[in-house]
Amino acid sequence: MSFWELIVSLLGQGLVITLLTTVLAAILALVLGFIGGLMRLSKNKFIRFIVAIYVEVFRGTSLLVQLFWIYFVLPMFGLRMSALTAAVLAIGLNYGAYTSEVVRSGIQSVDEGQTEASIALNFTRVQRMRRIIIPQAFIMMLPNLGNQLIELFKSTSLVALITLTDLTYQANVLNATTLQTTQIFTALLVIYFVIAWPMTKGMKMLERKMTEGRM
Amino acid sequence: MWDWNYAFEVLPDIASALWVTISATLVGFVLALVVGLIWTLLIRSNNKIISNVADGIVKFIRNTPLLVQLYFIFYVFPQFGLSLEPFTAGVIGLGLHYSTYLSEVYRSGIESVGPGQWEVATALNFDTRKTWTRIILPQAIPPVLPVIGNYFITMFKETPLLSAITLVEILQTAQNIGASTFRYTEPLTIVGVLFLLLSYPASVALRQLEIRVTERY
Amino acid sequence: MSEPIVRYNNVTKYFDDLQVLDGIDFEIQPGEKVALIGPSGSGKTTFARLLMTLEEITDGTIEVEGDYLWHEQDDNGDLKPASTDHLRKVRSNIGMVFQHFHLFPHMTVLENVMEAPVTVQGRDKKEAKKSAEDMLDKVGLLDKADTYPAQLSGGQKQRVAIARALVMDPKVLIFDEPTSALDPELVGEVLDVIKDIADQGDTSILLITHEMDFAKEVADRIAFFDGGKIIEDGPPSEILYNPQAPRLKEFLERFMNTQSSPE
Ligand SMILES: Nc1ncnc2c1ncn2[C@@H]1O[C@H](COP(=O)(O)OP(=O)(O)O)[C@@H](O)[C@H]1O
Ligand SMILES: [Mg+2]
Repeated sequence: MSFWELIVSLLGQGLVITLLTTVLAAILALVLGFIGGLMRLSKNKFIRFIVAIYVEVFRGTSLLVQLFWIYFVLPMFGLRMSALTAAVLAIGLNYGAYTSEVVRSGIQSVDEGQTEASIALNFTRVQRMRRIIIPQAFIMMLPNLGNQLIELFKSTSLVALITLTDLTYQANVLNATTLQTTQIFTALLVIYFVIAWPMTKGMKMLERKMTEGRM
Repeated sequence: MWDWNYAFEVLPDIASALWVTISATLVGFVLALVVGLIWTLLIRSNNKIISNVADGIVKFIRNTPLLVQLYFIFYVFPQFGLSLEPFTAGVIGLGLHYSTYLSEVYRSGIESVGPGQWEVATALNFDTRKTWTRIILPQAIPPVLPVIGNYFITMFKETPLLSAITLVEILQTAQNIGASTFRYTEPLTIVGVLFLLLSYPASVALRQLEIRVTERY
Repeated sequence: MSEPIVRYNNVTKYFDDLQVLDGIDFEIQPGEKVALIGPSGSGKTTFARLLMTLEEITDGTIEVEGDYLWHEQDDNGDLKPASTDHLRKVRSNIGMVFQHFHLFPHMTVLENVMEAPVTVQGRDKKEAKKSAEDMLDKVGLLDKADTYPAQLSGGQKQRVAIARALVMDPKVLIFDEPTSALDPELVGEVLDVIKDIADQGDTSILLITHEMDFAKEVADRIAFFDGGKIIEDGPPSEILYNPQAPRLKEFLERFMNTQSSPE
């Protein structure tokens, strides 16, 4: 196969899974990150402790170990799941832990005066968070969230190791059948780069758009 | 569900593979430190071609997955007559990948040194080399030490990827044990616990360092 | 005399071991404009922030329109700490303008003023927009409705902050040194707006300020704070021109000296 045929073949077979895993895991990570980050700021010690355990465990062990654990160990406890589910769960939980720290520090970086003004205007706690604090914190989180999205996207290549048929997995299959090793892995690197690079640029643009004239 | 006897039986094997994990981390880290600095200096070069090429390479490495880079080094290099041991290929991949992150850290450290310091160095007639080693780097590096430390921990946690190119580090050891006994629960859990036991105290220590550093700078 | 709108009863405030307010009794009548003066660190801000519920009361009670602010009465008539709902209900009578404005940077000027009426009072959007625009017109900033706070001068920011507080129609409006973060040339425009409010409104005003001339102009009464206590309290003419307490005399003298220093 020519280099272009290899690229087309890889994309045709693996791109959807790679992107699907990225999107689902990113959504899960964002949701967990926001819940975790907010709980980390709770007045309740116990709630803070629970989140701290979650964050430290998932940051302290390796993503690949977590992926294997979820895919190979959980079934022993009766929790059988597809490779896609395991992949989304592992990546989402892992990045969710990092995201919760981003969310926490983003919220803490919002000026105390914003809280005071909201109290003076008689907002409830929930209204204050939703309308005043989180929108401002989110803008400050954007650069970090953008970086994390790129890292998350790259980390989806690990799912090949639990036989989920993403780009990397398909490259290995193709390598075994065609033996065009150099072209295949070069093509694979190029594909990842061509997706990740515009993502980096896009996040930067979004950042600029959201801060334009406001901050 | 959980068999303590079995866990204690496999623990020594897994723990003994820990030194492969740790030495891969250390060698990879040193490589990343050195190569990262080289990237930074190349990118700062006055020669536009050198600077752009270095910048392009760094961006490419940063925007592609480490796992694929490992495959590339391990499977593609031999096509050009360069066959590498899994360990060597692994630390090159790990070191190269994180060198691009460290390059960014150095850059931010260097940019935090005010322009006045360069002017003073010129005024005192330091040559370029001395300016870097005596004036700029001693100021640029300490504030970013916590970040650099963080990358050390991150690299440590990335070493299991090296199992994908057949390096028998702790995850691969656990996998092998699991495959032969059909029991994955204990070996994989032990690997997780080992990572946590080593990386958690390290990150706590780093947070202390970070507090000290922010107080000083 | 009518019922006071605000009444402090033996109010004490500690920050850890530091006593900042020392058993203060104080009243504000409906529509009354009161200025607080006194050396920095004497407790003026803390005094006002207790009323805005930004600091927690240590001891004593505050009443707003006869309702306890920090407390609720249980069935036996005993006082217990107020619930969040109770706190919000009583707090709705109070508004505040801060030294550093604290505008919402992610919202336009109009959105800043509309936000609380819609979100907090649940008012209809169209109607809230109308009153927000009226309010911006009143502070002379209707033409800035669609800009973001970052593009405004300090004086303009403070006028928006005043509009934002006023649109909630508070019975008592607190100003904590509203002009001390402003460049001198921008002070006037803000004082003019405050003067307007004082002149036309039946809103009670609690104004913490170092602008003695302005205090004299708008206030019905001036209270002098020192060391967590109100040392002297009376009509501006008395406080400024016939001070009794030695500390007040000293304060005014020092103040006049710094004020009259050549520009
Ligand atoms: N949040 C706080 N924690 C501890 N001490 C405080 C706090 N806020 C104010 N204080 C102290 O309380 C005293 C009175 O402060 P403040 O009410 O701001 O006085 P003023 O407004 O008259 O300058 C000062 O000694 C100040 O340092
Ligand atoms: Mg004050």
